[in-house]
Amino acid sequence: MNDATPELDLLAQAPIDDLDVEALGVLRSLYERNDPVPRGLVERVKFAITLDDLEAEVARLQRDAVPGGLPELVSRSDELLKARSVTFTSDTVTTMVTITPVDAEAVRLDGWAAPGAYLDVELRVGDTSRHVVADEDGRFVFERVEHGLAQLILRPAEESDGGHAVITPAIEL
Amino acid sequence: MTTSDTPVGTLASRAGAAFAAYQSGDRERLSELVDLVTPILWHTVRAQRVGYDQSEDIVQTILLRLVHHAETIDDPRAVLAWLIVTAKRESWRIVRDSRRVQPLPDYEEADATPETTVDGPETAALASLEGRVLWHHVEALSERCRSLLRVVAFSDRPDYAVVAEALGMPVGSIGPTRGRCLAKLRLLLDSDPHWGTS
Repeated sequence: MNDATPELDLLAQAPIDDLDVEALGVLRSLYERNDPVPRGLVERVKFAITLDDLEAEVARLQRDAVPGGLPELVSRSDELLKARSVTFTSDTVTTMVTITPVDAEAVRLDGWAAPGAYLDVELRVGDTSRHVVADEDGRFVFERVEHGLAQLILRPAEESDGGHAVITPAIEL
Repeated sequence: MTTSDTPVGTLASRAGAAFAAYQSGDRERLSELVDLVTPILWHTVRAQRVGYDQSEDIVQTILLRLVHHAETIDDPRAVLAWLIVTAKRESWRIVRDSRRVQPLPDYEEADATPETTVDGPETAALASLEGRVLWHHVEALSERCRSLLRVVAFSDRPDYAVVAEALGMPVGSIGPTRGRCLAKLRLLLDSDPHWGTS
């Protein structure tokens, strides 16, 4: 069948109108429902970019009772852990974090990094970021953190010689 | 360089503004760019019949590639087109390589496209009447047109020409004309009494 009818040509050369936009809108919602962007993909992309940007050392998540073994470095969102006490290890630092609910909206996060004296500790939750400095024993606290996907980035104290950042996989708070 | 900080405008212009800000040192704006473009990139890749997991990899790969090549993109307003072109090329490469080597173990299943599943009972039950009517006609189009319209549907009207050109199917005119694929769909819809009269 020949598609090249004059009617089709005319339509093809005419401006897009509101009915076209409406049809495309319906089409979009069909694809959004039928083949949605995978849950967590945006976060995984951002994580990969952050890693790349920092050229950071990547900590591994250690946890004794992990269903199905250790999660992947960039774990799938449905495997993210409802963490209570979590340990991250990397070649240069070990970090323990304990998460305690404060109320329905927030948790408290107590951390300890070794060696961790005066590390700059950044906590990223969604698009928000906050910093604390670890004490001389490597302890640090975030008193009140809203729920969400969280990552820690540990940077050497400014005066220290060299060293590089360590980034943890995202955990769900 | 001046860029708008307000989230107005089309997908292409918002992506361009975020990328321009990133290029000039506002690193945080990259996050906004990722939020903006991930849906259209996902559907660009999936429209080339790439499997589910590989599609995730491609979206991640091309956004990383953008970061690596950020200085080489002279016109930040072209960032959406750059991403779509790159996504399509990368998808074709992956599909071609996987066919050359061997079908992936889960290739057939992983490759279930909306063409085969949108009519499934679940979707049919959920879809509105207009959704089912529209899908009936979209299925009658060539795969090439279907994949073009799929991606175009995730952009905004003034961007259609840019998106179509990035996909290698220029609508061949200045201004937002329909082009042949959208015109074919429109012909079908106009002759269907079940398609809305609004």
